[in-house]
Amino acid sequence: MFRVNKPEQSMAQQSSNETIIAQGVKVEGDFHSQGDVVIDGEVSGTIETTQALSIGQSARIKADITSKSAIVAGEVKGNIKASERLELLATSIVEGDVETANLSIASGARVNGKITMGELEKEG
Amino acid sequence: MYCYLYDEFIQGNKRYERELLDIENRLTDLGIAGKISRLALFRNAEEMIRDEIDHGVKTVVVLGNDDTVRKVLDVISESKITLGLIPIGPKNELARLLGIPNGVEACDILSARRIEQIDVGTINGRKFITGVRVPDFKAELMCNDGKYRVVPTSHADLEIQNLADICNPRDGMLRANIHTLIRKGWGPFARHEQTNTVLPFQFLAIRSDKPISLYADGEEMQGTRFDIGIEAMILKVIIGKSRVFV
Repeated sequence: MFRVNKPEQSMAQQSSNETIIAQGVKVEGDFHSQGDVVIDGEVSGTIETTQALSIGQSARIKADITSKSAIVAGEVKGNIKASERLELLATSIVEGDVETANLSIASGARVNGKITMGELEKEG
Repeated sequence: MYCYLYDEFIQGNKRYERELLDIENRLTDLGIAGKISRLALFRNAEEMIRDEIDHGVKTVVVLGNDDTVRKVLDVISESKITLGLIPIGPKNELARLLGIPNGVEACDILSARRIEQIDVGTINGRKFITGVRVPDFKAELMCNDGKYRVVPTSHADLEIQNLADICNPRDGMLRANIHTLIRKGWGPFARHEQTNTVLPFQFLAIRSDKPISLYADGEEMQGTRFDIGIEAMILKVIIGKSRVFV
């Protein structure tokens, strides 16, 4: 089925601007990035990236998320705003509102919140 | 104009006598022989280099190892002159990363004079080229002017890289790698797995309640507060074809 550990496999080919927050690490505060972000650890606060975000199965997020696209396999307590595409895998648990242009929800995924779809206005 | 800086450990050491002679002969053959400055116990390496720069030296070639480079790195990068290396003896990781072979073969690399500008990291005002290592890291990282902090939740080692096998020293970024060891499974079936957190950054601060030890380019520093940043493309260095970065 889904290979939720894909972020770990891609580590060897990481681009210079890619951020990886692995298991065993906790991030607190307003996290901003200009590159791709892979999260397998704990994050609380806000997460913002102009590129793709990947949340692994072991990730525990208590944060509002803003990204270009996102793939979620872990637990998110907070609102998710993905301007282009959001993919919720079978193991994902989302407690918060979801706003995106394209949404994919796998069987088994849990979403407790309002879902808004359509073209998102780009924030200045 | 070249200036060759001999480290103390290679002078008068019979082990390197023959190699030094070969190097000096090869440099003369290639027409790039220059003034020789010798480091000694009570001589300040930085002052020696400043004197040479005042006398018109444009390239300082270090004969020694990583420790020798560290002694003159601050003054060379500030003076905008070119750094060359002739690695001798052990502890020559920097030369390997720059694609410079040990001993007399390095003379041909010097003669080819392929120069690149690379980034230099700073830690509490002191410069480093390769990176900073913090074994048994039990502090917190403050990133992006303190907007967020990163804390390991299990046993971790921190490595901050500028020039490394998978790190480009020309991208204006440093990279913090936090290697954590996490326990998976229960009881006798439990096993430890290493995970790797990667944070690209330009400025970062390490804060700790207790004094910690870290190693910048192999040199030990102790303290509770370390401010780490990058100065982009300030060091001109002669490199070989087999360098690890593009």
